[in-house]
Amino acid sequence: MAKYVANRLFAMLITLWIIVTITFFLMHAIPGSPFNQERNTSEAVQRNLEAHYHLNEPVFVQYFIYLKSLATLDFGPSIKQSSTSVNEMIGRGFPVSAELGMLSLAIAVISGVILGIFAALKHNGTIDYIAMTFAVIGISVPNFIMATLLIQQLAVNWEIFPVATWSSPMHMVLPAVALATGPMAIIARLTRSSMIEVLNQDYILTAKAKGMSTYQIVIKHAMRNALLPVITILGTLVAGVLTGSFVIEKIFAIPGMGKYFINGINDRDYPVIMGTTVFYSAFLIMMLFIVDIAYGILDPRIKLHKRGN
Amino acid sequence: MKKIVTMFLSLLLLIGIVGCTTTQDSSSNSNSGSEGDSQEQSSKILKLNNGAEPTSFDPPIGFDSVSWNALNNLMEGMTRLDDNDEPQPATAKEWDVSEDGKTYTFNIREDASWSNGEPVTAQDFEFAWKRLANPDTASPAAFLAYFIEGAEAYNTGEGSAEDMMVTAVDEKTLEVQLTSPVGFFPTLISNPAFFPVHKETVEQNPEWHTEADSYVSNGPFKLSKWTHETEFVFEKNEEYWDAESVNLDEVHWAMVDDTNTEYQMYKTGDLHTSDVPADLSEQLFDEGKAQVEDQSGTYFYRFNTEMEPFQNANIRKAFAMAVDQQQIVEFVTKGQEKPAKGFVAYGFEDPSGGDFREVGGDLVSTDAAKAKELLEKGMEEEGYDTLPAVTLTYNTSDSHKKIAETLQQMYKESLGVDVELANQEWNVFSTEQKALKLQFSRSSFLADYADPINFLESFQTGHSMNRTGWSNDEFDSLIEQAKNETDEEKRFELMHEAESILFDEMPIFPIHFYNHVYLQSEDVTGIVRHPVGYMELKTADIK
Repeated sequence: MAKYVANRLFAMLITLWIIVTITFFLMHAIPGSPFNQERNTSEAVQRNLEAHYHLNEPVFVQYFIYLKSLATLDFGPSIKQSSTSVNEMIGRGFPVSAELGMLSLAIAVISGVILGIFAALKHNGTIDYIAMTFAVIGISVPNFIMATLLIQQLAVNWEIFPVATWSSPMHMVLPAVALATGPMAIIARLTRSSMIEVLNQDYILTAKAKGMSTYQIVIKHAMRNALLPVITILGTLVAGVLTGSFVIEKIFAIPGMGKYFINGINDRDYPVIMGTTVFYSAFLIMMLFIVDIAYGILDPRIKLHKRGN
Repeated sequence: MKKIVTMFLSLLLLIGIVGCTTTQDSSSNSNSGSEGDSQEQSSKILKLNNGAEPTSFDPPIGFDSVSWNALNNLMEGMTRLDDNDEPQPATAKEWDVSEDGKTYTFNIREDASWSNGEPVTAQDFEFAWKRLANPDTASPAAFLAYFIEGAEAYNTGEGSAEDMMVTAVDEKTLEVQLTSPVGFFPTLISNPAFFPVHKETVEQNPEWHTEADSYVSNGPFKLSKWTHETEFVFEKNEEYWDAESVNLDEVHWAMVDDTNTEYQMYKTGDLHTSDVPADLSEQLFDEGKAQVEDQSGTYFYRFNTEMEPFQNANIRKAFAMAVDQQQIVEFVTKGQEKPAKGFVAYGFEDPSGGDFREVGGDLVSTDAAKAKELLEKGMEEEGYDTLPAVTLTYNTSDSHKKIAETLQQMYKESLGVDVELANQEWNVFSTEQKALKLQFSRSSFLADYADPINFLESFQTGHSMNRTGWSNDEFDSLIEQAKNETDEEKRFELMHEAESILFDEMPIFPIHFYNHVYLQSEDVTGIVRHPVGYMELKTADIK
């Protein structure tokens, strides 16, 4: 196991290095400059700015300068917001994005699993149809449409929740729900189908024959097997929720990471593009790794360390 | 196994709960909800949206409206623009101009002081203006200082700070020598690039401008709270020399990037003003809710005079005359813009009181028959049997696309020419346009300072704003003469002459002048929006 983890960690570093390199050269290959303005700027001013950020050096030199500072986990200063470092941006934005992501993931998992279980238990019944209608709507309505609908109804018309910004638990409800609908629908459908499969297994029949209540059967016997596929896709869902949050953050004016990512690219703010990409990549690679480990623990049939021997 | 699953689920739940509680703590610090409502009775709080985190509150760095709209109310330069966009004494009590118009002497008010209680001195100004031109500051606005003798040399690394001719004669007197008699200098220095900075603070702490605690200002308001990426709060600055005229107690600036969200917040009373979402603009205009203010700038198209077929002036003219500006503003943009028939926008008064644009009149007319004639003439001159393919390029955006498609239609109808449309991401577009790689492209100009010369100087040979490859000696010399002319009447004549040459040659043609469309609560009065310049809240008030 230790060897497996060590191997994986090493592979992760290599992956990251490849991502850094590709992103760096791609980013410099796109035409444009962080100092491009529609308005008038004199050439001398442009030169001063470029010298200030070492952009007048050859790309290879810039690459090595960047790798060097990256080795010390220093992402450098933002070009657009010159007084803010990219580390500060991530430090400010990521906790907010993580909070939003975790909250909506919790909503998605809990409500998705419950919906899925009920749908499976009342297989082809009214509850099943209602739950799956929800699921289809959740999958097919993009989260920014959902967000706009929620704002219009719950915030503007009924004035239950605030329209936007991020300052109290009440402010979090709408964005978290808007972001959760998609993953929730996926989880509900997945839970339903694997639950139906598990419920038809022999050992469930045995449990029924022993006279256990439905509640006990579901909680004690069916759920842990039915949820395995859900755990498997959690890694990808985390990625989905994080990337999906870009739009939600913009609509709800949430000070998360999303806008740095988008604006960084639009502004050709090179350190911001690199910083956010490296950070997200590291985070997602880590997530997938954790899911792999967790999967191995949950399902004894999967032996992670075998390959190492 | 079951335990692990339940543990995992409860962990997720826990994280959710912890998430809720941490923000509950932070929310108790901010005055939201009922607390805020009761406060409004006693104090006047204006709620605005800044759209995004300010780039920087360091005057020479934040060269954009998300920084300077707010900064304009935190700090104050020698002058401030009044309701009629005229410069009025602000930190300066008065100023003298030498006979040749090149030397300005400013006397700073005795009671002008910083938010930390210290007096605003001429040394602060000298320090700030030299800092603007210092190449190490890398200010994108540095070129605005080039009017000052020695500033350009200093900024380009050829001169030194000592040779930049801005001098603090004594604590309250500042002397500035200009390269040429710039009549609009008092207007120019109302620009945030010329705001003073508290010398001692800046020297001691280079990061002084990044947090509310360390920020020192000399304007109507002071920065009392800055939650990065979320909001910042202004409080009335009691140290301000004219604090009596300031009505608001606080200004809260949100950072909402989405116009629809901004509009919804405006509707629920979370904001006092809002921009108008594109989909709703027609409806809001019909209901009479949207308000319009002129903005000094021009939406126009550039021909690349180094690419076929636009090396030919008659062909350029044909393409310009086939366009009906009136139709575009009426049926396409629908934002009550004024159609543009010249390059310099409305709002610049000449010595005899006339408006530059009205005196200059229409320099391009819509005339399909004449356009067709000119096209044939031009093609004959160049020996074309068929016109080389024309591609019109714009940067990706719905509004630009609509205009581009209308132009395509107009060319088809009036000239019988099929124009290809292409769009590019903004930054790519901008790079290609500057490198003269685009044949025919969309452009815009917003004035940096309030004088027609700012518009016209763009098309001097090799100017960084030219971007057409066009060059005309007579035009260049007229601009030079206008810049050195002390007699205002003559100066305006020279500028009119230059503009008419520009339109005889037509390296560009205009579509419409910009305006600013917004919604504002009826309770709010006194917010001033200048055609050139930034928002003024000094005299704003809430009923």
